[in-house]
Amino acid sequence: MRINPKRKVHNVSGENIVISQIEGTADMTQVVALNESAMLLYNNLRSKDLKVDDIVQVLLDNYDIDESTAHRDAEEWVASMREQGLIID
Amino acid sequence: MHYTIGGHTITITGQADADLAARLPGMSVFEADGSACDEVRIMLDTDLTLPDCQWHHRFGLADDTLECRFGTDSDGVYYYAFGDRGLLRFDPRQAHTVQCSHLGDPELLRYALWTAYSMTGLHLGALPVHASTVVNSGRAVLCLGESGTGKSTHTGLWIKHIEGSYLLNDDSPIVSIKNGEAVVYGSPWSGKTPCYRSERLPIAALLRLEQRPENSIRRLKTVEAFTALQPSCPPSLAREERCLDKLVEFVSAVISNTPVYRMGCLPNADAARLSFSTLMNSHHAD
Repeated sequence: MRINPKRKVHNVSGENIVISQIEGTADMTQVVALNESAMLLYNNLRSKDLKVDDIVQVLLDNYDIDESTAHRDAEEWVASMREQGLIID
Repeated sequence: MHYTIGGHTITITGQADADLAARLPGMSVFEADGSACDEVRIMLDTDLTLPDCQWHHRFGLADDTLECRFGTDSDGVYYYAFGDRGLLRFDPRQAHTVQCSHLGDPELLRYALWTAYSMTGLHLGALPVHASTVVNSGRAVLCLGESGTGKSTHTGLWIKHIEGSYLLNDDSPIVSIKNGEAVVYGSPWSGKTPCYRSERLPIAALLRLEQRPENSIRRLKTVEAFTALQPSCPPSLAREERCLDKLVEFVSAVISNTPVYRMGCLPNADAARLSFSTLMNSHHAD
């Protein structure tokens, strides 16, 4: 899996957002706001073949959390990013 | 012929379509005298051929009977193809010129001029926004929402129940940032309501409307405010990367200068009173 290269992060008055077209509907767009940890992962892992272990490592390097928490957070992040179309296979 | 629309001077050249443009409803209101500078040039009746394009957006016009496409050629020049009835060409390296082939049909020409304005306006920082716009005490409120939400109904309720209110435009006013302030202009594109006013007003607020069983209103923070305004900007612009960058810049500038609200509303006088008291007092509360 990898971070969807077609989705660009835009800065709007200090907020980081990703805009996607919802296909099939008339003129709907979807806006996802990325929080600080999501941006950290995005910036570190954008151009790579994405593995859960790499996400865990970025989280462990930057936050004071244990490995099982980092693993759980990584899995959750991947699931929500997949749902938004920001992580693709 | 010269026109002043959204604070910019537009020169429309051509033969039959230029005459047709001058006779479109509302256009005469925006006529400028011959000495006006040639800021933007829309060249109608131009011979154009469609090159190979990468298509970003497909949409229907004339009740979906005309399939239209928006795309770019290999040089990054934008094209709109209005079915087989005409082409519009815009080269962002010459952002003050839009070319259009002969269309010969008033409705299609009206749409093409709106499209031409949105392409060049994106580069000038002035865009048509899909909104019914009401004015009170020298400030404007733009009611946003999907078709059928009751934008015109809500502005109509202001005019009926709130003294001193009048309609600026019912479909597509021009929004621009002037000296750090968001302003709105009337335009020759007003949907089914012939309301054409060559006026410029500061914007009191943007109001995203939704039909709800009761009236409620709240101010939106950045991300929600962005989501409220962006879908009301010309849809094709969000479909191509370079346009989207500029669109985000525009929407960000507007929402950082203007309060944005979301309102659930009924079509009644109380709804108008609630939005009026909330939006028109917010200026003092800030």
